[in-house]
Amino acid sequence: MSSVAERGRGAHRVAAAGVVLGALLLLALLGLPIVVLLLRGGLSGLAQLGADRELRSALWLTAQTATAATLVAGVLGTPLAYLLARDRMPAGALVGALLDLPLLIPHPVAGMALLLAFGRASPAGTALAQLGLAVVGSRTGIVLAMLFVAAPLYVSAAREAIARVDERYESVARTLGDTPIRAAWRITRPLAGRGLVAAAVVMWARAVSEFGAIVILTYNPKVASVLSYDRFTGEGLDAALPVAAVLVILALVPLLVLRSLRAGTALGEPAR
Amino acid sequence: MIEVAALETRAGAFALRDVSFSLPRGAWGIVLGSAGAGKTTLLETIAGVRPAAAGRVRLRGADVTDVPPERRGVGIVYQHALLFPHLTVEENVRYGAHDPEHAIALARRLGAGQLLGRGVRELSGGERQIVALARALAPRPDILLLDEPFAAVDPRGRTRLRRELRALQRELSLTVLHVTHDFGEAGTLGDLAILLDGGRMVQAAPPETLFRRPASAAAAEFLGAENVYAGSATPLEAGADDEAGTMRFRAGSLELVGVGETGAVAHAVIRGEDVVLAREHGGTSSARNVLEGVVAEVVRHGALARVTLEVGELPLVATVTAGSVSELGLLPGSRAVATIKATAVHLC
Repeated sequence: MSSVAERGRGAHRVAAAGVVLGALLLLALLGLPIVVLLLRGGLSGLAQLGADRELRSALWLTAQTATAATLVAGVLGTPLAYLLARDRMPAGALVGALLDLPLLIPHPVAGMALLLAFGRASPAGTALAQLGLAVVGSRTGIVLAMLFVAAPLYVSAAREAIARVDERYESVARTLGDTPIRAAWRITRPLAGRGLVAAAVVMWARAVSEFGAIVILTYNPKVASVLSYDRFTGEGLDAALPVAAVLVILALVPLLVLRSLRAGTALGEPAR
Repeated sequence: MIEVAALETRAGAFALRDVSFSLPRGAWGIVLGSAGAGKTTLLETIAGVRPAAAGRVRLRGADVTDVPPERRGVGIVYQHALLFPHLTVEENVRYGAHDPEHAIALARRLGAGQLLGRGVRELSGGERQIVALARALAPRPDILLLDEPFAAVDPRGRTRLRRELRALQRELSLTVLHVTHDFGEAGTLGDLAILLDGGRMVQAAPPETLFRRPASAAAAEFLGAENVYAGSATPLEAGADDEAGTMRFRAGSLELVGVGETGAVAHAVIRGEDVVLAREHGGTSSARNVLEGVVAEVVRHGALARVTLEVGELPLVATVTAGSVSELGLLPGSRAVATIKATAVHLC
């Protein structure tokens, strides 16, 4: 009996060691490139911020367009997320699948699709150009590309945040005189607020890091990701490193914001 | 006034069907049923937060089946209170009130005065229910739907709150529909009791009728009838004192005279409190059923006791006072005589 128990304990130790080793290997694969990049380019990148006007301008453009794309997603995507969360969207399953599609296709392909749909030769692109919103080679194009690849993330996270708010709170608000929109605004919005902000932060971070779709639509003006690629192909790895390192540092900001949001207590979850 | 006709509602895979009843203005209706019977779904459909798939809902004489909840003038209190967690108690109470001062006065009357400045998360379960009640009443609805509102309130608070709510109901002529598992509450508060089972309405009747004359054996068992026997009935030649529908019922060796609607009678129902026990035959009883048996078990519950008598091969449960058990010397193994009036044997 005791030898069986010892063999069991031995197998358990081997399995535990295997799990730890596997986790360490994965963490090393994920963390090592970031650490090396920051060590090689981090300080010089920060130091270069003062002198490198093109880098500053690319970062500013990235922040502006990512913020614009996030705002557009917030305004247009929150009602959609609400309808999906409350199962009130006609053909909700189809809409959900459509929203997942941009996340699955390669981003340069997304750029090509956008070019076909909104490029100069397309009817939509012509109409937008007449409104002063030319898509190719413009800020509009950058925002559109960011929106295409990152808005599904916002809608998905916002949908989860709204679904966590017990629908019966709205039912009570309705019996107290609220219309459906007023109940959603007075009750669900504040209760899901933390989750909606987290969804916006995820989207903003994803938009900042987008390259593939943007580079097809708008090479110039350059966002930070395009600038790092431009320097890598034109001047080599050393020239691209400071830009790349600054982008990594920039990604830490939303990560910290997300952590602090998740640390808070969730409101409005279903009563048990 | 609440009138529901052939109501049908779907909630996911669950369906509530064939619900029809009428609750007059100012009356107190009780909804009874086991978990999953559709009690909350019924309240939500009347409130309008869940659409009716078929049938009609009429409030105050007007058809409101397609009217949104904000225009139905109905207050609802859920079992878990569902106070808005991002608002204070006072903000909750004032949420739907047209007259904030009235809302605050109402909260004070219900005993929530000292809670007004507090956050919802600081409240106990009972306090939450009181605040939810004040919030529901603040917009002055004339119809109030209550989903087990006293479940989380301690016994003393429950008595006080029930009394206060009863007074408010009379004062404001509120029509109340109240889901409860508490049969005592059903008996003391209700003018009409509605029994649901598996999404269907089994019976709607005054509580006394529901408990005394359940529509089926399943309903009788749910309502706590201690003795339910399966068997068959044959018409009895009525004596001068017999009620219409008096029949002879047989279940194995057990033979009873009871009252029911002639037709497909398959069960006899006897409530434990209708069984009178004695040690030996009394000469003057007018009861139609006199059964001799042996005491199998005596279980005391405070001032009351459940005595199980073996009558032939069937058990007969009597609910008597603990004092009677001692006086009669009812011990397991002793012989006893049970007498039951024909009107206390409900055949269904």
